[in-house]
Amino acid sequence: MKRIFGTIFLALVAVTAVARRDSVEVLRPVTSAYSVEFGSSHLTDTYLTPLNYDGWTTAMAYERLQAPRFNPSGAIMQLRGRLSVDRDRNPARNATMWGLDLNVDWGVLWRLKSSRLPHGIALSGGFNTAIDLGALYLARNGNNPVTAKASWTVGISAMVVYNFKIGALPVTFRYQPSMPLTGVFFSPDYGELYYEIYLGNKSGLVHCAWPGNYFRFDNLITLDLRFKGATLRLGYHNEIYSGKVNNIVSGHTVHSFVIGLANEWISLSPRRKLSDNAKIISAIY
Amino acid sequence: MIKKILIILVASIALTACHETEKWNADVYGNFDALWTIIDQHYCFLDQKDIDWDAVYSKYHMRIGNDMTAREFFDICSDMLAELKDGHVNLSSSFDVSYYRKWWSDYPQNYDARLIEQYYLNFDYSSVSGMKYAVLPQNVGYINYGSFSYMVGESALDAILYSFAPCRGLIIDIRDNGGGDMTNVETIVRRFIDERILAGYISHKTGPGHSDFSKPYAYYFDPAPAGRRRWLKPVVVLTNRSTFSAANNFVSIMKLLPNVKIVGDRTGGGSGMPFSSEIPCGWGVRFSACSVLDALGQSTESGIEPSQGCKVDLDPAKALEGIDTMLEKAIEVLLVE
Repeated sequence: MKRIFGTIFLALVAVTAVARRDSVEVLRPVTSAYSVEFGSSHLTDTYLTPLNYDGWTTAMAYERLQAPRFNPSGAIMQLRGRLSVDRDRNPARNATMWGLDLNVDWGVLWRLKSSRLPHGIALSGGFNTAIDLGALYLARNGNNPVTAKASWTVGISAMVVYNFKIGALPVTFRYQPSMPLTGVFFSPDYGELYYEIYLGNKSGLVHCAWPGNYFRFDNLITLDLRFKGATLRLGYHNEIYSGKVNNIVSGHTVHSFVIGLANEWISLSPRRKLSDNAKIISAIY
Repeated sequence: MIKKILIILVASIALTACHETEKWNADVYGNFDALWTIIDQHYCFLDQKDIDWDAVYSKYHMRIGNDMTAREFFDICSDMLAELKDGHVNLSSSFDVSYYRKWWSDYPQNYDARLIEQYYLNFDYSSVSGMKYAVLPQNVGYINYGSFSYMVGESALDAILYSFAPCRGLIIDIRDNGGGDMTNVETIVRRFIDERILAGYISHKTGPGHSDFSKPYAYYFDPAPAGRRRWLKPVVVLTNRSTFSAANNFVSIMKLLPNVKIVGDRTGGGSGMPFSSEIPCGWGVRFSACSVLDALGQSTESGIEPSQGCKVDLDPAKALEGIDTMLEKAIEVLLVE
């Protein structure tokens, strides 16, 4: 037995040594972007009101993209955070509903071989997992003014990236749809007051999510104009959410304009010399 | 294979993308239907009160028309809601708020604040957290708590109960207390118990059907923590028909404590926890959505009777002489205890 383990160990050492000798040093720059969004919002939550509300939304968003260490040339790792505020009015324009939402999602997308696509278009697809926390507040409701939103989901995401030039200016177009497929989410019961939850009745509050009761479709289109000093990000964000559980229907539709700043950076140790054949693998540029 | 998966995915998205909500027109008929539907699907006492809500629809629907004024329409909607005989039901517009008053207006008021302040407190009392309190000449502590909307501070309760330390009994006068915040009920009750008690049950609607209710959930109150003053000597809770909602809930819990007597008139009820909604024209509607039961599992929606032998009204003739016959009865009960 000792001999077998010894042989396996020696084989692994040999393979690793060959791999090291043949490997190319890979640099994985981080693409990070800070953006703000402004647009229209439509809110529905029959726990609070049977009427649909519409108004405006604004959000701050952060995004971080990087080729992952485990497969730098074949995948993209993405982290996104978004804090949004909605202010919507009822049809009679005499009541206001506020929405506050924090969404954080992390995912990995695998790059399809670009040789299969024309004009250098890069296509990738993968999964993401997201945590969403928020609340809706309708001041006119004296006893049920607030409903909380919370979910943890796992879903799929795809990304189309097309790098081109406008004159001498490098531009990156990106379209990314995302959709959760399963997870868990919170909802009070049909006529349950939060006071009952406060009293200790926690049953039936957490539900398994699937697109039939928790449908969310997120579309993000960005255009990164890569000037010499900084990258200007312009874009469009669309979010469609429709949920139904415990006979409560909730919905949220957002169309918003995105503007922000992006940059690509890499951290290097000044004490460590880069090898001559170092290769830079960017996430999307 | 990938194509098949994509087709299934797109089909499932198309089928489930939008969950429809009920839509109503913004005219009189649409608003009427919205109001009727909200009560039909959310009001929690339709079956308990044996209300034929479909018949109510027919009765009032024939009285409406698109040519009527907002005031006329409001009055018809208010009449329809009055069929529920519930003080927690209101229709709110920019010009009026409907209110069902018969749960107290059909009965003697049985309370005169001036009578107490002038002849029993001598206009000399302390006041904190919405509670007026003083020691009566019979060495009985007296608290008048006008609304459970006033937040009750723990330190305030400590101070009040400390001032009553030499007293033989305590009267909590919640006549004309129309309710407020249920958490204040818990804060106060905790001072009168020395072990965990079953406070009652709560049941909410689980769907739009008239009998779609959750299993009643038992909720408990724990005694105030060590270091806080508690009162385990005799207590009288003084009630009238205007003791409603959270105050009614307070009575339902206190009545089952061994050292407590309920003196006065039957309470006004109001055991439904209210919910709010609205109709397309912007009017708000409030209604009972969750039923709160007492620790025996009984509904107190129609009020709570005083303890046996403790029912008493305010005698108007005696009141003219400066005597509150209900308060006198409360003192008498305490002195006998």
